[in-house]
Amino acid sequence: MAYLTQPDYIKYVCSCGQLKPITNLYFCRHCLKIRCGFCICHEVDSHYCANCLENMPSSEARLKKNRCSSCFDCPSCFHTLSTRATIAQPRQDPAAGDAKIENKQPKKMYYLSCFNCRWTSRDVGIPDQPVASGGWPERTNPFAARVNQLLDYYKAIAQQEKQEKLDRERKKFAIRGKYMNLTDKTGLTGAMARNIAGLASSESSSSAIANFVPSQASEEVEELPEDYHTQEVNLKQITSMRQRLRAAEWQPRSAARLQPAARALSVKRSQRCRACDHNLTKPEYNPGSVKFKIELLAYYHVPEVKIISYETVKPGETTALLLKLTNPTAHEMQVRLLQPQDVPEVEEREEPKSIEKSLEKSLNLEKDSSWSKVLQRRAALPTACAVRAPDAALTLAQRDDAAEYDDDPQHDTSDIIMWRKSNKLALRLQVATAAGAAPGGPARAALALQYSYRNTVPPAAAAPAPRDHTLYTTLVIHLGTVAE
Amino acid sequence: MSQNIKILPGATVCEDCTLEGDITIGGGTVIHPRVTIIADGGPIIIAEYCIIEEYSTIIHKKSDKQENPPKPLFIGAHNVFEVGCRLESSFGHIGESNVFECRSFVGVNVKIGSGCVIGAACNLTVTQTLADNTVIWGSEHHNREALEKQPSQLLQLDFLSKVMPNYHRLRKPNVHKRLPSRQSQEISK
Repeated sequence: MAYLTQPDYIKYVCSCGQLKPITNLYFCRHCLKIRCGFCICHEVDSHYCANCLENMPSSEARLKKNRCSSCFDCPSCFHTLSTRATIAQPRQDPAAGDAKIENKQPKKMYYLSCFNCRWTSRDVGIPDQPVASGGWPERTNPFAARVNQLLDYYKAIAQQEKQEKLDRERKKFAIRGKYMNLTDKTGLTGAMARNIAGLASSESSSSAIANFVPSQASEEVEELPEDYHTQEVNLKQITSMRQRLRAAEWQPRSAARLQPAARALSVKRSQRCRACDHNLTKPEYNPGSVKFKIELLAYYHVPEVKIISYETVKPGETTALLLKLTNPTAHEMQVRLLQPQDVPEVEEREEPKSIEKSLEKSLNLEKDSSWSKVLQRRAALPTACAVRAPDAALTLAQRDDAAEYDDDPQHDTSDIIMWRKSNKLALRLQVATAAGAAPGGPARAALALQYSYRNTVPPAAAAPAPRDHTLYTTLVIHLGTVAE
Repeated sequence: MSQNIKILPGATVCEDCTLEGDITIGGGTVIHPRVTIIADGGPIIIAEYCIIEEYSTIIHKKSDKQENPPKPLFIGAHNVFEVGCRLESSFGHIGESNVFECRSFVGVNVKIGSGCVIGAACNLTVTQTLADNTVIWGSEHHNREALEKQPSQLLQLDFLSKVMPNYHRLRKPNVHKRLPSRQSQEISK
């Protein structure tokens, strides 16, 4: 909860150089590196409506313009609209007389209403519907024909360019087949043969290009109404900019022309490490579920550091800092505090590519591989404050969910260990601040952790990978502002 | 302070609420427990079929230019005061079918017409007049004009007046409709 409501006091350095709180980071178990939202691959798994939790295949979602067909948003405040029922007496028909007595049963009618701003579909004169969901009148865009024409035109152009490119490629590597065919015998190409036979050319797209009329700017513009400058403005009847842009197709100017907008779909996405192509998170397919099938969050693998308390940082002085370390893994962890400059450089060694992989690479030469490159930079670490790290290995016990019912905490306190409780450890540290630290500026200290990590990924059969690793992580601790 | 609370027959007023000063509560109105109504600057008259929910506060504040006799604060029919709202009007009149949503605040110099909605946690402090059917919502106090008045809560009122006596001690109506002459005198006082 503290991570949601409070500022991020502790930030970890991602392997791409970003500074993020531990809850925003992922941990790739295959590269053994911290990853963040900027240096991983996001993939759309499924589309669903967050209101009615209906799943939609991506092709259908594209067809419906990524909008739900049964849920609507309020055009006034963008909250979700709810369906409300009223009982309407059918109007007495004087001509019908007594013959239609059974029709006088009260009928349920439905309208849409917003619980936030109390907008209703009656406000803009949409008639009530006899069915609870669906059946709402759809408004067509006055420029729909033109938009479709443009779409067809651009699709045709894209198709043509693709075709041209393919033809060029084919010319380069003309592969003669084993078998003779008609075109080889007669020296005709398929297109020519079709032309001679009087058939339509194979590229139907060319008609879209030929029939396209470019739009023209006109000299004459509609005059403004006479009372445009003198009419008093009633802001309640005019839509706001946000309301207009929400309905991009109509952009209503008056509030009386607002229409319920179909709700935009949400997306379930899985995230993938760009270096090793393994999944970092994979949600369950069911839209109602908030669980994950794969969930490699840093919070479950990297030792968590929290500030218990600290003395106000003063320039040129040494102040106390109390930290709490937590081991989230199910294995015992050895932790050593280091200075960030003591972290050994991880050299990027090129993995020996297997033959299959290099073959695959040569086949995929055309494929753009720039997406897999990650821009890496070094994080700018603060230097004004330094945490005096004692050179001692600290043992953090494994996480034990039953441990909180144990009564006696272990008391192996020393000069730096304040207390120890199951998988948690409280440390008393010193922060040395440089004399030149600017008073009033933010006091930030960098600290590095060396920790042992047991990899629980079942190793590949061929190469038994080492299970125990020594990993490093760097974090930045925010200690308020430097005192005067 | 003089305690002069008149509850008309048909009103459901819980015992566990603070009523101070000269207050008249109309028939059909439901007042939940823990409501505070203080008629400091003059009498408060609540008309029929209002719902006043828990922890809402209605204060008729004493002003510097106190008229003599003090002007009553008249709250029209079918108003809904949701949980934790606060009304500090000293204007004499509040229309009907208004909704004061949860934790809304209406300050001293705000005049409210009919059919208005003051959204959850909206604060109205500046001197202003809300036209009929104004809806105010959101942290940025957006406003718009509704086409029609808010639907009345008659079903809810029916339910509350049936259920409330089962779980709460109620104040008994102390004004009887059989004496219309006396009642009209009291209101005009």
